[in-house]
Amino acid sequence: MSQESSHQRPSFGRETALRGPFVFFFVAALVWLLATSALGLIAALKLWMPSFLNCEWLTYGRVTVAQKNLFIYGWATNALLAVNLWLLARLTSFEFRNGWIAVFGGLVWNATLIYGVQQIFAGFLNGFSLLEMPREVGPVLAIAFLLAGFWPVVAFARRPSGHTFAAQWYVVGASFLFPIFYLIAQLLVLWCPASGVVQALVASWFVQNLLQLWLAASALGIAYYFIPKVLERPLAGYYLATVGFWTFFLFAGWTAPATLLGSPIPVWIQSVGVVAMVMSIVPIIITAINFHGTFAQNGGWANAWNSTSLRWVALGTISFTFVGLLRAIFYTRGYSAIVRFTEFYQGLDYLLVYGFVTMVIFGAAYFILPRVTGALWPSVKLIHVHFWSVTLALIVSTLVSLYGGYQTGLDLSKGAPQMIGGGKAHVLTAAAFLLGHAAFALNALGLIFRGLTSAENRQHD
Amino acid sequence: MKNLNLFLIGLFAAVAFPFGALIVSSQVQLGALGRAPAEEGGPLFPPREPGLAIQGRAVYLQLGCVACHTQQVRPAGIGSDIARGWGARPSVARDYVLQSQVLIGDHRFGPDLANVGARLTEAQLHEHLRAPSSVVAGSAMPAYEYLYQPKANGWAPTDRAVALVAYLKSLRQDYASPEAKLKQ
Repeated sequence: MSQESSHQRPSFGRETALRGPFVFFFVAALVWLLATSALGLIAALKLWMPSFLNCEWLTYGRVTVAQKNLFIYGWATNALLAVNLWLLARLTSFEFRNGWIAVFGGLVWNATLIYGVQQIFAGFLNGFSLLEMPREVGPVLAIAFLLAGFWPVVAFARRPSGHTFAAQWYVVGASFLFPIFYLIAQLLVLWCPASGVVQALVASWFVQNLLQLWLAASALGIAYYFIPKVLERPLAGYYLATVGFWTFFLFAGWTAPATLLGSPIPVWIQSVGVVAMVMSIVPIIITAINFHGTFAQNGGWANAWNSTSLRWVALGTISFTFVGLLRAIFYTRGYSAIVRFTEFYQGLDYLLVYGFVTMVIFGAAYFILPRVTGALWPSVKLIHVHFWSVTLALIVSTLVSLYGGYQTGLDLSKGAPQMIGGGKAHVLTAAAFLLGHAAFALNALGLIFRGLTSAENRQHD
Repeated sequence: MKNLNLFLIGLFAAVAFPFGALIVSSQVQLGALGRAPAEEGGPLFPPREPGLAIQGRAVYLQLGCVACHTQQVRPAGIGSDIARGWGARPSVARDYVLQSQVLIGDHRFGPDLANVGARLTEAQLHEHLRAPSSVVAGSAMPAYEYLYQPKANGWAPTDRAVALVAYLKSLRQDYASPEAKLKQ
């Protein structure tokens, strides 16, 4: 693997103003990545050996809820806030002068997250996925997000030139919409609960928006920036990107009822959800043309493989296409009857938030961190450990979840007893994820430390 | 894409339309549902939860049971819930109208609990909570021993265990509903 980005001489300039906020958000993200990885290993061990750490504050229910919340709101959101800040400066020539506001928002966000997770372990949790933290957490997180994550919209409004790029659309769209659907979901699930099962519909609407319109949209913005940037060529079929963008945002919000097939909600709403899920294949095809079409030209795949940063982005875009196709197929009625409530759908969600979003974030980090800090990656070996451990773990855990979930669904439909399969495999993959994340965190923290000390030295000089 | 206001309006509409069509319309359709008798003049269902069951619901939430158990029976033809004996009829929206926080769940490592109150006795539930593998060999459920205290000739449930079992006993959809009749 060539170390073009890891050993390239870092550049300075606009990044200097971003250094503080970027480093703050990324260090916070790294801490949460390690915490969520450790909790993921504990959760896998508890599923494999139910008596492991069997005490009330570490029930499987609490550990897995804390792990998921830390992954989404701790790791992914902090990292995306950091990368989005950097992207907006790159794409709009925005002079970022009020970094303290973003850092203050980040401090509030992370302090609130610590409180929310502590409350989960104390037993004060709600019953809806990714809305489990106590209700007082929601409004504070929304305000903190506005302070920390609304800058792409500001930068878009103040951009000096009229021209815009696909990467900007996705980042601005994600940053603009997250506080809206987050607050609505908090209101209708926790503060003024909707009637009966409508709560479940609101919760699933929120989860689909969170996964697609915040996490996946931000990651798409990153992919739209880095692929042409690193390959130094225009995107294939770029004229289709506008259609891809609007169809992605248009269909995402309608897909939620497809995750509730068979639940006691009106059948016509379930049908709408299935149609939207199948229609979501349109933006998947368009992004596949844009990304994979570009990689397919003039040895693009080989170049991506040889680039420390772009290989992550390439793998992420493959995951995105794969998960989009699987969602369009397996959220239809026939397959949902088999795989719903099994590991299968969790595997698909994980493939989206890890296989796509997290892989793309890793790629962005390998590109941006040396440029922002002005330092080089301390260890190439740790880069290799990171890549191979998490890539292999992702492939194995995805196969186990998808195949195991489908097989479990088939067995259950034939009257077999409820069993949990793949316990050992999940423990091994969770350990591999932890190893890879520890290698990445060690390397990144070393690089940041080097960068900060060399910046101090430059100041003294 | 160049006009920020139009761009943001478009984005907002992309979220607002599905919200209105899916959630507001569901609230309009289901929001007025209340308790109803299966037959004219009969008792109203779903029954009100006893106070102890409400306390037990809090324990259910605190322990994170919803991570492994659902509370919804899918119709025949969509999954095997009814064939497995998890309910005599599919769950309907009316079953949940009295619940302040609906815990239908989205994952099953264990069986569905929508009708667990009709399937198991109090003693069976206590035994299952205290030592699951003694009831189901190889059960993946951990033992909730901390909800029980040892006594001279066995175990005594704590107040929380009593409340949790009262809640689980209250989980039953074994009554006919205007929307779903019981299978004969």
